[in-house]
Formats: sequence, C-alpha cells, structure tokens
Amino acid sequence: MPLMLPTVIRNFFGGYATRLYPFKDVREPFVRARGHIEFDENKCILCGNCARRCPAAAIEINKEKNELVFNAAHCIICEVCAEACNKDAIRVEPKWRAPFYSKPVEVHHPKGKEKAS
Amino acid sequence: MAPRTVAPFGPQHPVLPEPIQLKITYEDEKVVDVVPAIGYGHRGIEKACELNEYPKNIYLCERICGICSCIHGISYCEVVERLWPIDVPPRAKYLRTIWSEMSRTHSHLLWLGLLADAFGFESMFMQFWRIREKVLDLLEMTTGQRVTQSISVVGGVRRDIDDEQKKKCIEVLREVRKESEALINVLANDYTVKARTVGKGVLTKEQAIALGCAGPHLRASGVKEDCRMQGLQAYGDLGFEPIVEKDGDCYARTLVRCRELLQAIDLQLEAFSKMPEGEIAVRPKGNPPANEAVYRAEQPRGEVFYYAKGNGTRNLERLRVRTPTYANIPSLLVMLPGCELPDVPVIVLSIDPCISCTER
Amino acid sequence: MIENIKEIKKDELLAEVKKFADAKARFVTAVCNDLGDKLEVTYFFNMSPGMEMHGLRMTVGKDEEVPSTTGIFLTTVLIENEMKEMFGLKVKDIAIDFGGHMLLAQDSPVTPMLKTGAAGGKGGE
Repeated sequence: MPLMLPTVIRNFFGGYATRLYPFKDVREPFVRARGHIEFDENKCILCGNCARRCPAAAIEINKEKNELVFNAAHCIICEVCAEACNKDAIRVEPKWRAPFYSKPVEVHHPKGKEKAS
Repeated sequence: MAPRTVAPFGPQHPVLPEPIQLKITYEDEKVVDVVPAIGYGHRGIEKACELNEYPKNIYLCERICGICSCIHGISYCEVVERLWPIDVPPRAKYLRTIWSEMSRTHSHLLWLGLLADAFGFESMFMQFWRIREKVLDLLEMTTGQRVTQSISVVGGVRRDIDDEQKKKCIEVLREVRKESEALINVLANDYTVKARTVGKGVLTKEQAIALGCAGPHLRASGVKEDCRMQGLQAYGDLGFEPIVEKDGDCYARTLVRCRELLQAIDLQLEAFSKMPEGEIAVRPKGNPPANEAVYRAEQPRGEVFYYAKGNGTRNLERLRVRTPTYANIPSLLVMLPGCELPDVPVIVLSIDPCISCTER
Repeated sequence: MIENIKEIKKDELLAEVKKFADAKARFVTAVCNDLGDKLEVTYFFNMSPGMEMHGLRMTVGKDEEVPSTTGIFLTTVLIENEMKEMFGLKVKDIAIDFGGHMLLAQDSPVTPMLKTGAAGGKGGE
C-alpha cells in the first residue's frame, strides 16, 4: 500500500475531482460538440439530400404534403445531413437533447420553396 | 478423484462488461475444462453492411464496438479506399493517427481500471477512470462526441484540429501522462497486485502463435507483432517500435498495456509536432470498383482485420470484420485449465474481452 | 487486389495449411464469399514474426463437404462454426461443434449471409 500513499494524500487535500452536480451546473458542451440538430423551415426546399444520406433513416420527406418528418429518437447526430444540405437549413447545436418518455417526432412544413419562387 | 462440478461463468458477471458465457468444469477449486458460448450480442452487422450504401456503413461499423469505435470507422474507410485505390492527404493521415492513439489511450485507461476492479482494488479503478475522463473530453472537443466520434469519411477526415485545440490537447496529454505514470508505478510494483497477476494464465510464445492471438496479448508472450509496424497512416514517420514483454502471464499483459498507454501519448505529442498543413479530405470518384481489399489496423485490443469486396455499385458485395477478441477467445481454452477459481476473472479480463466486437 | 493469394483445391487444403503450421505462421482469419452457385473460402495467415500475409483460396460447391482445419489450428473453431451457420458451408469434424447455434438462436433465419438469405428490412431501417 505505501506506493499508493502519495495519491491518497493528494486526493485527501486536493479538493473535488467531480462537479457538485445538483448544486452546481453541469459543464457547458464544447463549441463544436454534436448535441442535436435543428431545422430551419424558412430555408428548407425539401430537396431530400438529407433524407437520402441519413444513415439512420431518421428524416422522411413527403413532397406532396410539403412535410419533413424528423424522428429524433432515430437520429445518431452524425452531422451528415448538415454537411449535405445546400441551403444551410440544418444546424448542429452543441447542447444535448433532454431525456424523454415518449419518442418525439417533429413535423416541419418548410417554406423555403415558396420564398424562392 | 475429486468430484467435478460444472459452473457457468457469465453471461452476467461483475467483471464482464459484456455477455459471454464460459462453462467451466471445476475439480474442487481447480479449473479442468472450459467451453465458451457466445452469441448473446449478434446483430448481423456484416449483412447490414451489404444492404446499406457504402458511405452509410461508416456509422454502422463504428457501432460494432463502443470503445474501439473510432478505429473501426477509420479502418472501414481505409479498406474501402483501397478498392479504388484513393490516396488520402498527408494531414488526414496524421489526424487519423492522432485520433487512433487518443482512443487507444482512453481504452487502455479503461482496461487498467477494470483490471484493478477485477482483483478488488477499487480506489485504483476510480483513479484510472478519472484520468480517462480528461481524454474523453479531448475527444469531444476535437471530434464532437465522446464515444462514437464519426470522424472519418472515405477519402479523409471530416474535421480539422486548429491551433487552439492543438495547444489544449498537448497540455492535457502531458497532464494525463504525469498522472498515469504515478498510478502505473503502483500497478507495476505493488506486492498485492503482483500476488494476483504474476504467473497467472501463462501463455508461451509458441502457444500464442499457434492459437493466433492478437495485440497486447500476443506481445506479452514475446512476439514482436503490431499492425502499426506496417508504417501505414503516419506511423512510418513517427519511428514506432512495438512493446514486447517475455513472460506471457497476466502481469506481463498489464505491463504491455501500461507501457503502450505512455507510448500512445508520446506518439500523439510527436504527431502533433510533425503534422503537415494541407487538405484534410479528397472526394472519391464514382462507386467502389469491382475489386477486393484487405486492411489490418492495430486496435487497443489487438489486430482488426477488414475485408471488403466491391461490385461497382454503391453497395459492397461483402464486408468481413475480424476483431481482436475473436482471435483471443481460443487462448482461454489453454490458459484457464489448471488455474484456481479466484484467478478466473483476472485471466478472462487479461485478454481484454470485447464481446459485441466479436459477434458483430 | 490482394497480394500473395494461392488458389488451391479442396483436397489440398489440409496439406497446405499444415505447411503454414510448420512455418510457424499465425492464423488470422477466413473469409467466405457467396459466388451464386459456389462458395469461395479464403484463409489468411500471418508469417510470424513480421506483418506479411499469405492467403489460401478455394472454391467449393454449396453441397460439398470441406475438411476442418481445427486439428492443425485450434483457433479456427470459431470461424468454421461461423461459416457453417452463416453460409451453410459443410465443414466436417470441427473440434468444438456448436451445431449451427454459435451466433444464431433457435428461431433465427437459416444461413442469413447467403445472397438469397433472409434479410430483415432494407439497409438503414
């Protein structure tokens, strides 16, 4: 045990290694962390680039109904959709999504096409 | 003759993070026979890779295993690049090396913690995992996520490390190195640790080669084989020399991983200092041609083998992944018989089992 | 293209594998491919010490029996069992035979890795 003693002493006087969570806030995510994705309805033109490239098939596009359905629970936040989007309509935010009881399904009605025409 | 008892070890056992069952026959407290039973984590990823388009497979391959996920993604990209073949820009090669070594650092810290936990050294376990957290933070800062980094694409990498991040990485890695050295000193010299590991689960050099072991497990038996010796990525420039121990027992395996941990940090620091400027990715032209390729990389647990066969479409004809634990499980059949019951967890853990890797 | 692959016949397999065992080579893995009406099996060996890899490739019919190499390299137990249950490759006399249930369960699809084999859903779903 004597070999471990310096570590033990250092820990004894060294203060906390963790954050005192309920009393202090959690660490802010890093600037370029991948937390969740957000859609900008004003920019999206329903081209379907994101849906075709999504490895988890989390995005569904229905051009007739002018709908973009996003299954947040399927999303693996790989950022492929944001890279594929030509209109910058998908943003990756560093803040992670809060836990949920039922799987959220976001339905977007993009207006980008009307604006462009 | 003493009566024989058959007792299962696993699939749920405190030292096993993942499910594998070993049907062990004991004679009193001595192990006489072992039969492994796997199949609790099979997900059919190889089949799914044939049905997916090839760029989507990167994210699937990363999910073969959580701990070595970064190297799985990189290896998949490398093997698919060999179908054309595509030459990756030098900066991307360095970045891949840095992230590979970073994931090796966190994986070895995780394993050293688990080993300490397996023989009941709880405080050591906490200490190692505390250091590991810093490395995970570095990964999150540079790649965007802690575990599934999704950093590699066919033709290069997706993100660059800028100067500010580089400075921070070097600073934290030096800290990690200093803290790990203090703990490794305890692990390598403490008599309680030695009592649990020295002379346990001995595998000779001849046995290790005949059983086809891989990685630190093989090098602990005195075989100088490491896929980084091929000089791929940036390893050729970094003057890499594999770490070898002679004894082939649990203690030797621990020492190999301890020294590899420090070496991985040194390799990262050196790669940071030598990293060239330039492009980080090239775009592949068209679909993977009808060709086949093999790629071997060194994961924290050993040699990973990727085989890909293209057919000119966006889907691959066949992808085969052989992970290091797949090669190391048969060695348990030789190491376990003859040992005592309390040594079973330490010996099983000393191959660094990763079962979801094995079953894919 | 993979370097150093030698095409062999089914009957020569054991003799060729024995040569690798005598040369103190390390078994890496085997890869099975479905060629439509035939199966192609490639065994890879690493020439220890060093990182040079050699392969043995044989093409067998789907109903032909193949000898087991577990007598020479015990470590081929897992891969031979896997090829047997995933591709229906008929390997006889494996040292530890899991009977087609090493990775697959009782109610799993049979020989799922064949091109005609069962695939649950399309990719990505």
